[in-house]
Amino acid sequence: MASISIPVPWRARAKSGLLGWLATVDHKKIGLMYMVMAFSFFIGSGILGLLIRVQLAAPNQTFLDPQTYNQVFTMHGTGMIFLFTIPMVVGGFGNYFLPLMIGARDVAFPRLNAFSFWITLGGGLVMAMAFVLGARSDASWIAYVPYSNKQYSPTLGMDIWLIGLILTGVGSTLGAVNFLVTVYTMRAPGMTTWRIPMFVWAMVTTAAMVLLATPVLTAALLMLVADRNFSTQFFTANNARLWQHMFWFYSHPAVYIMILPVMGIVSEILPVFSRKPLFGAKAVVISTILIGILGFTTWVHHMFVSGVDPVIERFFMFTTMVIAVPTGVKVFNWLATMWGGSIDLKTPMLMAIGFLAMFVIGGLSGVIQALVPVNQYVHNSYWVVAHFHYVLFGGAVFGIFAGLYYWVPKMLGRMFDERLGKLHFVLMFIGFNLTFFPMHILGLMGMPRRIATYMAGRGWETGNLIATIGAFIIALSLLVFFVNVIKLRHAPKAGNDPWEGNTLEWTIPSPPPEYNFRHIPVVESDRPAYDERMRALPH
Amino acid sequence: MSMLPPVTEDARLIKALYDLVFWLAVGVFVLVEGLLIYSVIRFRRRRADELPLQVHGNRTLELIWTIVPSVLIAIVFGLAVDTMTRMTARGTLANPVAHVHAIGDQQARRRVEAAQPVDMVIEVIGRQWVWQYRYPGGDVITTEELVVPANKNIRLDMTAADVIHAWWMPQLGPMIYVNPGEMSYVWFNVPPGEYVGQCNVYCGVAHANMIARVRALPQAEFDEWFAQQSAAASVAVEPGDPERGRNYFMNSACVACHYIEGTKAQGKVAPRDLTRFATYPTIAQVDGLENNAENLRRWLKDPQSLKPGTAMPNLNLKAQDVEDLVAYLLTLR
Ligand code: HEC
Ligand code: HEM
Ligand SMILES: [Cu+2]
Ligand SMILES: [Cu+2]
Repeated sequence: MASISIPVPWRARAKSGLLGWLATVDHKKIGLMYMVMAFSFFIGSGILGLLIRVQLAAPNQTFLDPQTYNQVFTMHGTGMIFLFTIPMVVGGFGNYFLPLMIGARDVAFPRLNAFSFWITLGGGLVMAMAFVLGARSDASWIAYVPYSNKQYSPTLGMDIWLIGLILTGVGSTLGAVNFLVTVYTMRAPGMTTWRIPMFVWAMVTTAAMVLLATPVLTAALLMLVADRNFSTQFFTANNARLWQHMFWFYSHPAVYIMILPVMGIVSEILPVFSRKPLFGAKAVVISTILIGILGFTTWVHHMFVSGVDPVIERFFMFTTMVIAVPTGVKVFNWLATMWGGSIDLKTPMLMAIGFLAMFVIGGLSGVIQALVPVNQYVHNSYWVVAHFHYVLFGGAVFGIFAGLYYWVPKMLGRMFDERLGKLHFVLMFIGFNLTFFPMHILGLMGMPRRIATYMAGRGWETGNLIATIGAFIIALSLLVFFVNVIKLRHAPKAGNDPWEGNTLEWTIPSPPPEYNFRHIPVVESDRPAYDERMRALPH
Repeated sequence: MSMLPPVTEDARLIKALYDLVFWLAVGVFVLVEGLLIYSVIRFRRRRADELPLQVHGNRTLELIWTIVPSVLIAIVFGLAVDTMTRMTARGTLANPVAHVHAIGDQQARRRVEAAQPVDMVIEVIGRQWVWQYRYPGGDVITTEELVVPANKNIRLDMTAADVIHAWWMPQLGPMIYVNPGEMSYVWFNVPPGEYVGQCNVYCGVAHANMIARVRALPQAEFDEWFAQQSAAASVAVEPGDPERGRNYFMNSACVACHYIEGTKAQGKVAPRDLTRFATYPTIAQVDGLENNAENLRRWLKDPQSLKPGTAMPNLNLKAQDVEDLVAYLLTLR
């Protein structure tokens, strides 16, 4: 490959040991720390999910008392979204791979990057430690006022929850600035607009969304802290809807903040394991950007029953449904990428296919519940719980595991055991569907979400029991994953390019040296690593 | 994957829309998953060195899968708007200012009253954690269930006393939040029968206990029930029955906060466990509030007046329930 030589900067002489991690400004180490942090919170919040399922396995159970149950589902939701998914996909994968994929030696502002990580970790630890020590919020992850006001939630736990979220929000906002500047200014020579890898496109769109949306949430959280502690009156009872608007102005885009990077990962994996270029790459990029823009126009679909004007309801129903079009374009482009390819069902590919298969269900139930009349039935029922777990677990979590199976060999230089990987996939796929599919039916049968228990005789017993069994199968699948991680230490080496990848990270050693690229590569197409492989073939 | 059987015209409209769109979605689902499974089987890698044709895209195909879904979405949007319009025409999903408005907005209130002729208006108050129904005249107030005449146009005038709630009765039609400081409305006309639903907006520790029940009786039976209730409201209550009290306790919000060993009551909000409540010298550790039947009655009716700021809410218990609860609680030794 053509390349140009720029001397490796002095920073490359890294410190080792613990200080090497604490003081690092290397995007790869920071990315790994984000991943470890996020994964720990995934385990923690997952255990809370299991507690929820144990409590609901049968009617009238007293495994958790109602107060504790409410705290548990609040922390489960908060942890999964703010401390696991977002830091994992944006902070973790974004940090590690965005610079590598554009041929850069680091992000634009490495120190700011370290700061983003530590403040995010700080926010997470504040919330998690308070939870363990007993200062817990029980206001659910959406913390609607007036319930979250001092009067109805007088506990310290509520304030700590707010402060923790403000801290992680600052972390993500700063991280977003960093990514945007990096991609804008630090791409390798020759990486023109249409040669930017799909994952990087997804991260750019995500970062722009984070930058526009997160400050609104941060403002709302600060206003609530002020209401609770300094007697301001931003969200009085008559202003309760203001909180809902501000919260969802962030939290609907947040869904795309979680899912776009994962779509980016999948858009990298499907072509590699089908040995074909991404079908309609331009359309996929345009769809990504469109989803990013339209994502800001739909938040009121969370408020169809809280009392808004029907004309406005129609508008937001329309915008919500419109998002299905660019999303559908992506789905069909992915299918077309596989069509006629040479498909190798390695674990990363299985997970990516799992993503595709499950995300479609979440997308379809999303369109159904966007219809205002239908929403007036299913709102806040278990149908919705099923829907967003199909998007966030079936979509994001499967995609995250696809990314881990694909890239851990690059990050750690060792290959996962394929058989364990496949076992993990099969168990997680079965467990996931057993857990969340019955919830659609429960919702239609009238079961509301966020209830600590339910009475017998309303036909909800079977569905709940199946869901609980499924949750334990998911837990088992994760144990298989851990065994696989432990076995990595003695696993075979990965080499530079175990999968025949397309993007620049596969042209350098695994794990990459601190300075990433000894010579800055010159990019000649949208598949630089593929080009290099082709050139190396005997003619 | 079907909604509960609808019993009102609105609920039927909602279900019809859902059913149609559901089957459309099933079609898309089968198409996508079918293509996916077919590709995985048909295009599995057979030789390690095979290199398929490097197709980068296809304008026509891409246009097809942009335009066809757009048209489909437009059709579904049209169907939903049509359903909304029909519900609006019936007056149920009336104009927003009418559907939900600030208490005291007279103009909006007049529009509500003009929206649809009704035979009976019942006031509903949602509070942590009961639904309270006030019948015309004001004498009859129920909490466990809403008894209505069947096949009559009923309107519920709803508001919340504390946080947001929602009176979700899936078989009866669209749901709307019940907000503090605002009025929201539900209209329905149901055949005789019993319907169950419950609070749909998370409202705190006993949210799960905020069950709502509707019992629709033929007019004659309803009148009889109503007369009975009115009479009962004016006559003295009968002496408390511990068994009934226990029953009430175990099936109401009490269990969410209180702990009684060996029962369903496993709540941990109240500081003292009630297992041996009758042996405590005072109620709620209030100085001078001796633990006897009279004081307990006062406590249950209005805890705040005896201990301002206490976390025990006023649950608006009916006189008879208070008597039964007192009888039950004093058996706990
Ligand atoms: C929101 C939670 C909550 C609910 C619901 C609730 N209570 Fe209480 N209750 C409390 C709290 C908290 C206290 C302690 C009050 C204090 O010490 O300030 C209490 C105190 C009491 C006491 C006095 C106990 C003592 O320690 O002396 C009795 C009796 C009682 N409640 C009965 C009931 C009954 C009967 C119901 C149901 C109709 C009920 N409570 C519902 C929270 C609740
Ligand atoms: C480990 C497997 C999981 C199980 C068993 C599980 C189970 C559940 C259940 C049963 C609820 C409903 C609780 C209630 O309404 O009472 C819930 C809520 C929720 N879950 Fe999960 N879940 C899992 C994974 C995830 C993941 C991966 C995410 C996101 C990435 C997630 C995000 C949420 C959110 C946001 C809520 C809403 C919390 C709230 O209502 O405040 N969950 N989960
Ligand atoms: Cu949304
Ligand atoms: Cu409620």
